[in-house]
Amino acid sequence: MAQPLASDTAHHHDDHHDQPATGIKRWLFATNHKDIGTMYLVFSLIMFFIGGSMAMLIRAELFQPGLQLFDPVFFNQLTTNHALIMIFGAVMPAFVGLANWMIPMQIGAPDMALPRMNNFSFWILPFAFTLLLSTLFVPGGAAAGGWTLYPPLSLQTGDSFPMLIFAIHMMGASSIMGAINVIVTIMNMRAPGMNLLKMPLFCWSWLITAYLLIAVMPVLAGAVTMLLTDHFFKTSFFNAAGGGDPVMFEHIFWFFGHPEVYIMILPAFGIISEILPTFSRKPLFGATSMIYAIASIAFLSFIVWGHHMFVDGMPLAAQVFYMMSTMLIAVPTGVKVFNWTATMWRGSLSFEPPMLFAISFLFLFTIGGFSGVMLAIVPVDFQYNQTYFVVAHFHYVLVPGAIFAIMGAVYYWLPKWTGHMYSMALAKWHFWLSTIFVNVLFFPQHFLGLAGMPRRIPDYAVQFTDWNMVSSIGGFGFGLSQILFAVVIIQSVRGGKKATSEVWEGTHPTGLEWTLPSPAPYHSFTTAPEIP
Amino acid sequence: MSAAGTQKPPSVRRRIRNGALGLMSVALAFYFGIIVLLIYRSHH
Repeated sequence: MAQPLASDTAHHHDDHHDQPATGIKRWLFATNHKDIGTMYLVFSLIMFFIGGSMAMLIRAELFQPGLQLFDPVFFNQLTTNHALIMIFGAVMPAFVGLANWMIPMQIGAPDMALPRMNNFSFWILPFAFTLLLSTLFVPGGAAAGGWTLYPPLSLQTGDSFPMLIFAIHMMGASSIMGAINVIVTIMNMRAPGMNLLKMPLFCWSWLITAYLLIAVMPVLAGAVTMLLTDHFFKTSFFNAAGGGDPVMFEHIFWFFGHPEVYIMILPAFGIISEILPTFSRKPLFGATSMIYAIASIAFLSFIVWGHHMFVDGMPLAAQVFYMMSTMLIAVPTGVKVFNWTATMWRGSLSFEPPMLFAISFLFLFTIGGFSGVMLAIVPVDFQYNQTYFVVAHFHYVLVPGAIFAIMGAVYYWLPKWTGHMYSMALAKWHFWLSTIFVNVLFFPQHFLGLAGMPRRIPDYAVQFTDWNMVSSIGGFGFGLSQILFAVVIIQSVRGGKKATSEVWEGTHPTGLEWTLPSPAPYHSFTTAPEIP
Repeated sequence: MSAAGTQKPPSVRRRIRNGALGLMSVALAFYFGIIVLLIYRSHH
């Protein structure tokens, strides 16, 4: 989008003497957006591998019918914590890390607006997740009622219950502070001339996501606080015996939970909108309509939560409302998919790793979107609810959707961060293995769900064996291929061919980050660039 | 030198502070609001 005047790009930081602190102090007391972004991304990668290990254990248990490895309670602890770690520990911190790195560089700001709060919002996370993971080792074990924490089941959690609630509070506080930082940075720190419509799509997607976060994370915090008082202080918010209503928890949870889904996908939309034009060598088709589409999706995400609760029983009018409003989301999402396709249409395409991940996203996220439309249909949902079809649906949205976008973003901006090109061959191996195995892993789960296999069970009827074996093989393959991702990143950090400031030569990528040298200097845009 | 590496003009500092406080108030209102709503609902 916006390009600065040539004279403004030459001297962004050269007269600056501030150097990073050395040793542990650099990271503990970090206020630099690049350092904090790096910490978020490394933390997210570690959580991705921990959550992924849990997924591999789950797939190992499901490789054949019968109980092989774990007792059912531990299996349920694995599924619950796999979800919590992947959502709050892997996907969300990865997007916050990307926001920290890229938003100031894309809008021409020297740093985030609130650098000390930025430090605080990161450093809460290691404590939150240490607490969450330690619940696996306390008497009674970790939470096993699913990440949705529905009472009364979640209230039966053992000694770990208050630890879980406190961990969720800390994650929420971290996210809210991160969101506040993003909003005030974008609203106040843009370089002169960088008006909102010139702002790159990644910043736009994050701006809207940050508003979603501020609206819904406190609602989750309120819901789990009420669970806590129901558990320890004899309140009956969700206890039917005391006059409360367990279904009310579901309403409150999904008022948070559905926008949360979009919190995990809107920044991915922003990333894809950056990568596709670069490697198509064309401007993004319908850039303004992309912004309106993101805003429409964000608005609709607040009025569709009931579609998670069709089988609870609700008035016909409510069923119809939630069904129609959910299907309406397909309209702005369709606008985006067609715009991305039109961006590539008659473009001069090249297929570097970021582009491969973006194209894979386009196809596979759309599969997840289609199964989502199927699940929005009330009578269809009655049949598919609580089956593996739902598991297949949301994993298609989150793995080749959110996670592929994150990987595409890392491959897109990594040379800008480290100053080195990475091994294209290894990255392409990572891409192809991931894309093949992710389909082997999740596509058969549609068949299992349609055949009636329930989710969240460690054992199943013999008729489901074959597709479970295929799915598990895909799971092991996908998990192991992620080692390549870590190898590519480590190689690029340690050395390699020097990257130019433009990185993707001949592609004319847009955005102010490409006007900075590679690696980007520790302090960038200390003098604001002028955008004509 | 501020933590951000540059000194922001006072007007920008004020807008950042007001923006952050405003958004924090919204978050707290949602947090307490949902709890107060449920307490109200269970008494009436």
